[in-house]
Amino acid sequence: MIGLFGILDMGAHSLEAQQLGTEVTGQNLANVNNPAYARQRVLMQTATDIQTPVGQEGTGVTVVGIQQVRDSMLDSQIASETSTSNSLNAQQLALQDAEAALGEQVSSTGASGTNSIGSPNGLAQGLSNLFSGFQTLSTNPSSMAQRQTLVQSAQQLTSQFNQVSSQLAGIRNGLNQSIQNDVGSANQDLTDIASLNKQIVLAQASGGTANDLIDLRQQKLEDLSKYANISTAAQPNGSVNVSISGATMVSGITQTDSLQAFDAGGGQFLVRAATAGTTLALSGGSIEGEINVRDGALAALQSNVDTLASQLITQVNGIYSAGFDLNGNTGQNLFTGTNAATIGVNSAVVNDPSKFQAAGTAGAPGDNSVVLALGQLANNNVAALGNQTFSANYSQVVAGLGQSLSNVNDQVANSDKVTQMLNTQRSSVSGVSLDEEMTNLMSYQKAYEASAQLITTVNAMLLTVINMKTV
Amino acid sequence: MRVAQSTFAFNFLTQLNQLEQRQNNLQTQAATGQLFSLPEQNPSAMGQVLNLQTDVNATTQYQNNITQLQQTATSTSDAISGLKAISDRMNEIATLADGTKSPAQLQAYATEVGQLIQQAVQLGNSKDQGNYIFGGTATGAPPFVATTDSSGNVTGVAYQGNTSVAQVEISPGTTVSTAIPGANTTGTGPRGLFVDSRYGADFFGHLISLRNDLQSGNTAAIASTDAPQLSKDEDNLLYHVTANGIIQSRLQTASTLATQHNLSSNTELSQKTSADIAQTITELQQAQTAYSAALQSGSSILNLSILNYLH
Repeated sequence: MIGLFGILDMGAHSLEAQQLGTEVTGQNLANVNNPAYARQRVLMQTATDIQTPVGQEGTGVTVVGIQQVRDSMLDSQIASETSTSNSLNAQQLALQDAEAALGEQVSSTGASGTNSIGSPNGLAQGLSNLFSGFQTLSTNPSSMAQRQTLVQSAQQLTSQFNQVSSQLAGIRNGLNQSIQNDVGSANQDLTDIASLNKQIVLAQASGGTANDLIDLRQQKLEDLSKYANISTAAQPNGSVNVSISGATMVSGITQTDSLQAFDAGGGQFLVRAATAGTTLALSGGSIEGEINVRDGALAALQSNVDTLASQLITQVNGIYSAGFDLNGNTGQNLFTGTNAATIGVNSAVVNDPSKFQAAGTAGAPGDNSVVLALGQLANNNVAALGNQTFSANYSQVVAGLGQSLSNVNDQVANSDKVTQMLNTQRSSVSGVSLDEEMTNLMSYQKAYEASAQLITTVNAMLLTVINMKTV
Repeated sequence: MRVAQSTFAFNFLTQLNQLEQRQNNLQTQAATGQLFSLPEQNPSAMGQVLNLQTDVNATTQYQNNITQLQQTATSTSDAISGLKAISDRMNEIATLADGTKSPAQLQAYATEVGQLIQQAVQLGNSKDQGNYIFGGTATGAPPFVATTDSSGNVTGVAYQGNTSVAQVEISPGTTVSTAIPGANTTGTGPRGLFVDSRYGADFFGHLISLRNDLQSGNTAAIASTDAPQLSKDEDNLLYHVTANGIIQSRLQTASTLATQHNLSSNTELSQKTSADIAQTITELQQAQTAYSAALQSGSSILNLSILNYLH
């Protein structure tokens, strides 16, 4: 028998245990809307039995710990999916910007200004206008008005090329800036994780688990995964080692390395381990997405637009330079520059359209053989453009970009679904349920009342015993 | 499966977002009448739309070219008609001016021929939209220059143009020319209107010869030399009348084909891009119904919890 004082003790411990239960329930309730919070529960165990003549007798309840309900496999799956999803989002954003830069958009007041459907503001219409200008001039090659119109169409097209090129370059610069910003944010997370590791190790050295610090660290790990795909390894002392693409960044309580963005040449920003110096081949996260889209789809688009411009310059000038203007001069080029950024119209022709070399011979103002050949270029298959006409090649480039973006859109949608499913699973495991907590609260309350009643009863019994001895 | 507090709210919000996005897309379709507007929404159709657009633009340009050519062909036809009338009268005079006519009558004919020569030179220097039409590609200067003697008689008409004609494209790879060089003595190339060495045509030369013979009363020469020569000029003109007619007919056919081509291209464009409004509206109504049902059920569930029942 543990005796009356033993029962009092048991009651007191029970009160403590129920109170702790209530406190933990309170903690759960307070954090019901905290997405990073994993619910905690009190682990109670029967206190050590004592040996009595009639057998083992229990001595009440004892609290052995406050446990956090967390599934570490779900956590790492979510971190991994976060990396994937952020990589795709970065690519999607950049490709949407590129699509806007091209400016091809179908509307029903399109092409010819009539009710023809088409995309009126992009390079496709610009190319059509140029070749139409050549054709119109071929019907009346000495007309100054038509020469003026043609030169304006040419200028508008070259401006469009310049603008598209400039916007694509802007997107590229933006991506490089984002890479540098993301590297900074990732490094901050690495520092925070190392610091949290230290705090957790300290807190857990004296026994128990630092649940709230672990929640915070997991939040930091998931934030870090937004930028790069990470590998984690839990250590026995409670810390977590973090490595990125094989380079160890956090080992125990110290941060051993950090990320560094560097220019690998020609504005191609890559990421390496700052101390080790090795360039990292990232496999997920926004940084990888930005690099991927910058060096992949965006670079291909810029290259295609440049090739289109340079072939236009070469093919047009090849025919044009042999032509004669209204004053009998020859040998000039119509287009200046070498690519989409630099293409322009010869300023002499802009200032004086009579210098447009439309004729095949000098002194014959009605000769249109050169400008006719220029007009017929529209239907020529150009070897360097995949044996397609200028317009067909451009249509293919636009469709190609659209397909890339459409694919990424589908992947983003899929990734979102997976993320949603994983989050649902995690909240099923770790999320706070009001119903459950309220029920627990009632249980603890009743148990508290019962234990208090026990103490009151034992107290009365003690009084009875004491009052047995009267003086 | 255990449902936490956050799960329901999060899923509810996700579903609402999806429904709202669907409504938004359908609303845009209904308002614009288009199934898509950006390349990402339908990449292959976008490529086809751009190609069709280029095709429509090109065909419209061909129609414009044809219109220009038709105008020049009409101006040419008018001038040729004038020349034909002169040629008819010349041949008539050549027949009438025989030995039965008095010198006075022959002089009268000579004067008439003289005036008709000048009229012919004027027709030879016809213009269309500011360009001389019978000078070949030398469209900036009058093709024919007449030299006259002290009495005002035209003694010679020189051709300043060339024998090149400008081609214009009326459909991919097909070019035509409505231009006629005033004279061609090179032996190759397009047939000259007034002069062509291959067919014995020399309109001005023969008219001047007729006038001179009329003035000198040489009716024998008129019958033996001038009349056959003028007959060759008439044949040459007839050739051009027919050729002009053929060109105009060809241009009309090309114009009709271009119109039909554009009609079918535009129909195709419409099919690729236009939304079926009836279907869109129906789907939109369904989406709206689903949305309001989700809102209603979600709100009533969100409001309910164990807290309502605890005292």
